[in-house]
Amino acid sequence: MALSQQGDKQAYAALLEASQRWLQRYYARRISPSQLDDLVQETLIALHTKRASWDPARPFLPWLAAIARYRWVDHLRRLYRADEHELHEEFIGCDDEPELVARISLQRLLNFLPPAQEQAIALVKIDGLTIAEASAATGQSESLVKVNIHRGLKKLAALIEKE
Amino acid sequence: MLRDSDALIAELAGVLEPVKPLRLGEGLALSLAASALSAGVLVGLLGIRAEWLAGHLDPLQLVSTGLFLGLAVAATVTVIAMGRPQIGSYHGGWRWATAMAGLLPIAAAIVAIGRQAPSFSPELMRHGSECLAGGVAASLTVFATLVWWLRRGAPTSLERAGLVAGIAAGASGVFAVSLHCPDNDIVHIGLWHSAVLLVTAFAGRFVVPPLIRW
Repeated sequence: MALSQQGDKQAYAALLEASQRWLQRYYARRISPSQLDDLVQETLIALHTKRASWDPARPFLPWLAAIARYRWVDHLRRLYRADEHELHEEFIGCDDEPELVARISLQRLLNFLPPAQEQAIALVKIDGLTIAEASAATGQSESLVKVNIHRGLKKLAALIEKE
Repeated sequence: MLRDSDALIAELAGVLEPVKPLRLGEGLALSLAASALSAGVLVGLLGIRAEWLAGHLDPLQLVSTGLFLGLAVAATVTVIAMGRPQIGSYHGGWRWATAMAGLLPIAAAIVAIGRQAPSFSPELMRHGSECLAGGVAASLTVFATLVWWLRRGAPTSLERAGLVAGIAAGASGVFAVSLHCPDNDIVHIGLWHSAVLLVTAFAGRFVVPPLIRW
């Protein structure tokens, strides 16, 4: 990344390719597979436009993860149910992530939410259920599901840089 | 999908230009320069405290001015750091400085309630309004500088960044006003000077997020 900030295009292309692969794994299971490539590309564009905000004296991955979390929360906020929001079985990535990656994972971020908020966001914004379906699945009223999604996303946005 | 990922990577690499990393010292220096400019203009237009020129220093005035200056620095450093995201970063230092400065309006309210003489006469209200307007006006340069910095950076909590930018700018504005305001009354300082912070914090919380969204 330090070379990229200096304008080295070859190093930058290699960095983007590695970041793309990492982001594919990072977002897996936390976004509908049909949305995954869009979100990865949005994050790569954010990496490009905000590359000056990385401090060469600090590690790269926690910076990239902060950018990725921000884009993920923003994506969930913008996400509305569409016909293609079927959750497919195939997932990219694996569960045996290194300790550092686990520490900055999206699940860790979700764990800071109360269970009701986490459940509402997971069912509606990630799995693609309707409000009514999520209400039936959780036992929460439809208005409570909406409130929990709203409050949960707000809290996620405030927690992005939290470990 | 927006486009093919390989094509996107090739495109981004193709348009790559060297960038200068955002430096904490650079942001802090710019903000302090903006704060000094505001204070200089305000003192130039309205004059410095007469008692200082006479060699008299009021303890309450010194403590309150110091509190607002400390808050301005703490909040400014926080905003500058928020422009460079990092998992694990702690941005809570401004809360302690705000809590300390919050003692001033609390003390002012207690004194105002227990005081026999009126604390809100038309003359005192007029003077207080002048300090409020002057403080808000003096905060604008710092406010603009911090928003510009956040737009260059990548803040991940837009509402909080806006709120803290407003507090930083307001505290800087109050510091500038304190260099001129001749009033050493705790009620005046605690209520009217602190009101500047309320106005700028509110403005920052609701005006800044759309400006720094990315």
